[in-house]
Amino acid sequence: MRQLIVRRLLQTLPMLFFVSVVCFAMIKLAPGDPVLSFVTPNMHADDIERIRHNLGLDKPAYIQYLIWIKEILQGNFGYSLVNHQPVLDQILERLPATAGLMGSAIGLAVLLAIPLGLIAGANRNRWVDKLINFLSYVGISVPLFWLAILLMYLFAIKLHLLPIMGMRTIGVESAFDVFKHGILPCTVLAFGFLAGYVRYIRSSTIGQLKEEYVQIQYAFGSNKTTILFRHVMKHVLLPVITLLGMSMGDLVAGAIVTETVFSWPGIGSLGMTAVKGMDYPVIMGITLFSSLMLIIGNLVADILYSFVDPRIKLTR
Amino acid sequence: MRKGLSGVITLILLTFLISACSGGNTATSTNTNQTPATNDGTTASTEIKDGGNLIIGVAADPVILNPNYAGDRVSLTIDQALYAPLFQVNDGKKTFYLADSLTLSEDNLTYTLKLKSGLTWHDGEKLTADDVVFTIDSILDEKQNSMLRANLFIGDKPVKAVKVDDLTVEFKLPQVSPAFEATLVQVFPIPKHIFENETDLEKSTKNANPVGSGPFKFKEYKAGEYVTLERFDNYFGGKPHLDSVTYRIAKDTNAANLALQSGEINIKYLDPQDVGTIEASNNFEILPYSEGRLSYLLFNANSDRGALAKKEVRQALSLALSRDEIIQAAYSSSEYADPAKSFLTPDALFYTNDVPSFDNDVEKAKELLQSAGVSDLKLRLIVSSGNKAQEAISLYVQQKLKAIGAEVELQNMDASAYGQKFSDMNSTDFELAIAGYIMGYDPDAYRILYTSTADSNYSHYNNAEVDKLFNEGAGEADVTKRGEIYKKIQEIIADDAPIYPIANTKTIVAVSKNYGGLEEAVLKPVVIFEDLSKIYLK
Repeated sequence: MRQLIVRRLLQTLPMLFFVSVVCFAMIKLAPGDPVLSFVTPNMHADDIERIRHNLGLDKPAYIQYLIWIKEILQGNFGYSLVNHQPVLDQILERLPATAGLMGSAIGLAVLLAIPLGLIAGANRNRWVDKLINFLSYVGISVPLFWLAILLMYLFAIKLHLLPIMGMRTIGVESAFDVFKHGILPCTVLAFGFLAGYVRYIRSSTIGQLKEEYVQIQYAFGSNKTTILFRHVMKHVLLPVITLLGMSMGDLVAGAIVTETVFSWPGIGSLGMTAVKGMDYPVIMGITLFSSLMLIIGNLVADILYSFVDPRIKLTR
Repeated sequence: MRKGLSGVITLILLTFLISACSGGNTATSTNTNQTPATNDGTTASTEIKDGGNLIIGVAADPVILNPNYAGDRVSLTIDQALYAPLFQVNDGKKTFYLADSLTLSEDNLTYTLKLKSGLTWHDGEKLTADDVVFTIDSILDEKQNSMLRANLFIGDKPVKAVKVDDLTVEFKLPQVSPAFEATLVQVFPIPKHIFENETDLEKSTKNANPVGSGPFKFKEYKAGEYVTLERFDNYFGGKPHLDSVTYRIAKDTNAANLALQSGEINIKYLDPQDVGTIEASNNFEILPYSEGRLSYLLFNANSDRGALAKKEVRQALSLALSRDEIIQAAYSSSEYADPAKSFLTPDALFYTNDVPSFDNDVEKAKELLQSAGVSDLKLRLIVSSGNKAQEAISLYVQQKLKAIGAEVELQNMDASAYGQKFSDMNSTDFELAIAGYIMGYDPDAYRILYTSTADSNYSHYNNAEVDKLFNEGAGEADVTKRGEIYKKIQEIIADDAPIYPIANTKTIVAVSKNYGGLEEAVLKPVVIFEDLSKIYLK
C-alpha cells in the first residue's frame, strides 16, 4: 500500500511538469506584453528596457521557463511582475477565503444532491423526477453571474437581509460577519455544482435499484423509503467520493466568476487580475497549486475507495 | 494635470479602463456643470459635522502605495489621500499643500520652493526639505525604477534638487522649462527616515505600511477586500472631518452598482448607461466632470499598405466622418462628450478649438481621394473588444467609410493584445485604431505623441516644423510667445490630421447625498477628489 502511494506521488511529477510547460507556453504565445501593465508612454524607452531586463523579460521564453523551473525546484514561487509581492504569500493569503467558500459550497451541494438524486432515481420518469431533472437543466444553463446579481437584488436591495460586497464588513472581525457575507456566494456556487451532482447520483441510483439485494429487501417486506435511504444510499455514496476528489482542484483554484462578482478575496479573483496583466509567475503559481491539489484529491479518493469498498483494489 | 499620470492613463485607457468614459444609452438629465467648482454638491445651510466614514468603490487592488511608483488609477486615488502633494494646479491656479510658495528666478533656471513650517509625517517625524530632496533623488536614481524619472529630465539632463535650509529647496534646471511646474505637481514627497536605508524602494516591505503626510493615514489593507485610512489629526490643512475613508475593491460593475444602492459603497464611477438607474433612487449626486481626456481615431502612417502616409488621404477619411454622429452612437448624449478638434484637451494651457477641421463632408472627401489618386482603400481597424464605446465607434467608422469607397476590416482583439499592438512602434499591420489619452495641463506633455522621434508617436507623424515648435515651446519662458507657439502647433497638427479628434469625454461620479463638502474637495481627474479632508457626513 505505502509503496503504491509513493509510486502514485512520483507519477504526479511528470504530470505537473507537463502542466507547467503547457501553461507557460500558452501564456507566452498569447499576444500582450506584461511590461505594458506597469510602464507609461511617458517613460524613456531605455528606462522601460532596463525594467524589462531587470525582470528577465528580455530573455527568450524558454530561458525564462528554465529559470522559473529552477526556482520552483528550490521551492521558490517567485514574485509578481506587477506588485513584486512573493507569489506564494499571495496565494496562501487568499487560500482560506477560497477554501472556505468552495468547501462549504461543495458540502452544501452534496448534502442537497444526495436526497434529490435518490428521489429522482427512485421515481424514474414520474413527475418528481421530471421536476428535478428540469431544475438540473436550469441549474446548468443559468449563468452564475446573472443568478448572483438576481440574488443580490432580492436579498440586499429589496429585503435588506444580506450584504453584497466582499467577505467582511469594513473593520469587523467576526465569524458571524464572514458567515453572513458568505451566504449568497456559497448559494450561487452550490447551485452551479448541484445540477451535475444530482444527475450523477440519479443515474447511479437507477443502476443500484436493479441489483438483486434490492429485490431481496422488497421480498422481506421493507418499504421503499427504508430501502432507498438505508441500503441504496450506502452504495450510491461511493461514487460521490470520486466526485469530491475531482473537486479538490476547484477548492483551491477558486471560482473566477463568483469571486469576482461578490468581490470575494479568493484565488479566483487573484488569478483573474494576473491573467489580465499577463503576470506569469502568479498564473503559474496558481495553476501549479490547483493541479497539485487535483492530483492529490484523486489519489486520496482512490485510497478512500479501497478502504470503503474492499472489492476495489488499488492497482496499476 | 499631471504628466506622469497622463501617460499612465493613456496606458490604462489602452488596456482596460475605458469603460469609465465609454458610451451607453438612456442618458437622463443630470447636472452638467463643467467645472468642479460649480457642482452643487453642498448646501451652504448645512452645518459641518465631524465624524463618520466614507466608502469609495475602486475597481482593483492598489498595485503599490508609494507615489514614486503609483501608475494605476487605484494606487493614485489612494495616494491622493495618504500623501500630500507640494501643490496642485486647477484651471491654471495653484493651490499650495506642503509648499508655502514657489518662486522662479530672474534667469528662469531656478525654482525656489518654501515648505510650510511645522509639517509632520503620520508617524510624528518632522517633514523637511531633506524629505523633498530625498524624494527627487530617489526618482532620479536609475536603480530605483521610478515611473516619474523621465519627467525630471529636461533635454537630456536631470533637474537638481538642493536643500538650502530645513524649509527651502532649490530646483536647478539645466535649461528653461515652463513645463517643470506640471512635473512638480506630480511629486508627492516620501519620508526619508523610513526609506533611506532601503536598497530597493519599489520592493521595500515598508510600502506595506505606508507613512505619508496627507489628510488620512494608513490603517489596514486586506488584499482583495479593502484599504482603510483613518483621520490624521495633525494634517496641516486642518483636522479632516471624517473619521475614516475606506477604498472597497469591487471588481464587477453591476454588483458594485447594487452595493452603491445598498449603501455598502458611497462613491463610485458610473457608466453613462447606468446613470438613469442610480439617479432614479434619488439618493445620489451625479457629477459628470472633465478628465481632460481626448477620444480619437488614430491614423497609422507606418502601415505596410502605406495608404495613410498621404495627408490628403487622412483628411479625406476625416471628412467622411461626423463627430456629432459618433458622439450619439458611442456616448449616446452630448452631455457626456464634447466634440473635439484640437489634439489638446480643454484643460490644457493655450488650448483652442479654432483650428482647421475636417468633418462631415463626403463630397469633398471623394474629391480629395481622387486628386490624391487613391482608390480602393482597404483599411484595418483594431478594436479593444468588450469596450462598448470603441465597438460602437468602429461599426460607425466602417459604415461611413464605405461611402467614400474605403473598405474597413474590423479586427477585434482582447485588451492586452490591443495594447501591445497599439503601443508597439513597429506595428505595420493596421491602419486605424480607436484610442484615448489624458496628458495633463501643460502642452509640452504632448511632445511624446507628436514629435517625429518620440517613443510614443504611435501615428508616426513626421513634421519638422512641429518638432521645432515643440522644442521652442518647451524652452519659452514668455507666456504670450509660448501661447502663440502652441496655437500654431495646434493648427498645423489639425491640418496634417495624424489623428481624427472625436470628443472630450467626461467621467461620471455618483456620490451619496449624505456627504457634503464636495465643492471644497474639488473633483479631480483620475483620483476623484483632490482633498478628502474637506468632505463631511451630513
